[in-house]
Amino acid sequence: MTDFTVTDLTVKAGRTTLVEGAGFSLVPGELVALLGPNGAGKTSLLRASLGLEKRTSGTASLNGDDCTTLSPMERARRVAYLPQQRPLAWPNAVRDVVALGRFAYGAAPGRLSQPDADAVDRAMETCDLAALAHRSADTLSGGELARVHCARAFAAEAPLLIADEPVAALDPRHQFRIMDIIQSYVARGGGALVVLHDISLAARYASRLIWMKDGRIVADGPPAETLTAERLSEIYGVRAHVHGTRVHIEGAA
Amino acid sequence: MKPNVWLLPALVAASILALFAACLLGSTPMSAERVLAAFFGGGDAGDRLVIWQIRLPRALAAYMVGASLGISGAALQGLLRNPLAEPGVLGVSATASLAATFSLYYGLVALSPWILPLSAIFGALAATGLITLAAIRTRSVVTLILIGVGLSSFAGAAMSLLMNLAPNPFSLADMINWMLGSVANRSFREIGLAAPFILVGAAILLASRRGLSALTLGEEAASGVGLNLRTQRILTVLGAGLATGGSVALAGAIGFVGIVAPHVIRPFVGHDPARSLVPSALFAGLILVLADIGVRIIPTSNELKLGVVAALIGAPAFVWIAMQRRTGND
Repeated sequence: MTDFTVTDLTVKAGRTTLVEGAGFSLVPGELVALLGPNGAGKTSLLRASLGLEKRTSGTASLNGDDCTTLSPMERARRVAYLPQQRPLAWPNAVRDVVALGRFAYGAAPGRLSQPDADAVDRAMETCDLAALAHRSADTLSGGELARVHCARAFAAEAPLLIADEPVAALDPRHQFRIMDIIQSYVARGGGALVVLHDISLAARYASRLIWMKDGRIVADGPPAETLTAERLSEIYGVRAHVHGTRVHIEGAA
Repeated sequence: MKPNVWLLPALVAASILALFAACLLGSTPMSAERVLAAFFGGGDAGDRLVIWQIRLPRALAAYMVGASLGISGAALQGLLRNPLAEPGVLGVSATASLAATFSLYYGLVALSPWILPLSAIFGALAATGLITLAAIRTRSVVTLILIGVGLSSFAGAAMSLLMNLAPNPFSLADMINWMLGSVANRSFREIGLAAPFILVGAAILLASRRGLSALTLGEEAASGVGLNLRTQRILTVLGAGLATGGSVALAGAIGFVGIVAPHVIRPFVGHDPARSLVPSALFAGLILVLADIGVRIIPTSNELKLGVVAALIGAPAFVWIAMQRRTGND
């Protein structure tokens, strides 16, 4: 079993502290939502944890190996990362984009071994992309493109997935669709950490919520324990009613 | 958008035909039989001299220059994820020409005939080294392009300054050769000096081409799928620098081939940067051989420079490609 453990992580950019003393863990079988307002340090925390951004102090390990000592390919085989910014440089065919998810196994779009091709096909099926396989990626809608990026991440068949705002700028139906896809990945034994801004969506899907504010993790636990009107007011500065996992936000506090 | 299986064989065949045509055509037209005979060591001595000393080296030089610019352009476009990137963008061609011009101005070429090509290669490597250092320090592609633009502008200005100060018309004429680019009167000796740099550069680019595919996803996601971004940048810039330096040593600064060839090739290889390298090299070589045939058979009082013809075709294509771009990337 692959576990991702981050302890006491601090990230500073010059004199600004982006993340301070943050720690969390992620194991297969759980879907964790990372919540917090813009600028709370969520993306910096994820990037620094994965070793993509320089950390000032703290540790982040995958199965006991620190992320900074793992080669990028070894790390990519243990955890798939779906960043917030996902610009596609060229109008590649959808299947070729998904195939890039196999990079860590030595594959390239024109050079897929049988296991690579099978993994790509499974990921395309999971994300319902079979019909779009040969479409050029620049002709897709936002919702379709989001599925392509998910499939790219799943094609690695890594035990863990870290997704930074996978449902940003999607309509409600596509938001549910992407979250259903991630939930099915978790049901098959994966572990996912997902940055979300929609609290209802997080409460509905996540087994655990990590709350972040001003670079610190202020709470970490199941929705039933950590999702309260007081917390929403403290973290986001909004007035809200919470009934179980149902959230009604009235406005700015 | 399946990669076209006929693309490579067609390009190889067209390249061979173009090189052969370049040997046929010229001030003394030769029949195919005479060219073939001379080529395999037969025929009369005059024919062998024309083929082996003049036409074949010139055609091969044009092909090698085109191929190195094509592969460098395709690789840099993959690295920078920008169809407008080419050796010129990183300032490598301009700096190499500047170094060549400098050695002319200060008469260093009198020391040895090899000084001129060597200084072009030195200039390319210096520019490449600077870009490599910048690539290690910065994560941003925009910064890298801007450094290249600055380097190009500086080299251009320094070159103008040298031309203003040129003490005699002979060095001015030589400088024009280096700035506009030409493969006239190239010998196998000059090809032999440039070839190792071009081959090593091309080998580095080919060995590291898979990472260019990953960069399609953007730098962030490319790192996420397991690409070592820093290594990729260094290898691509180094390979492109060596290949471009070799090409400038052979023919001076020839622009736009490195932009046009990959642009034409890309749709045939599913827009995959890695798979565009070899076809782009072959196609760019083909373009320059054909352009050089044009230079030789167009009846002008002074022979046109190859770089001028390349720019006349390439610059409008560059503007057209730039205007086609809908989105900017990071």
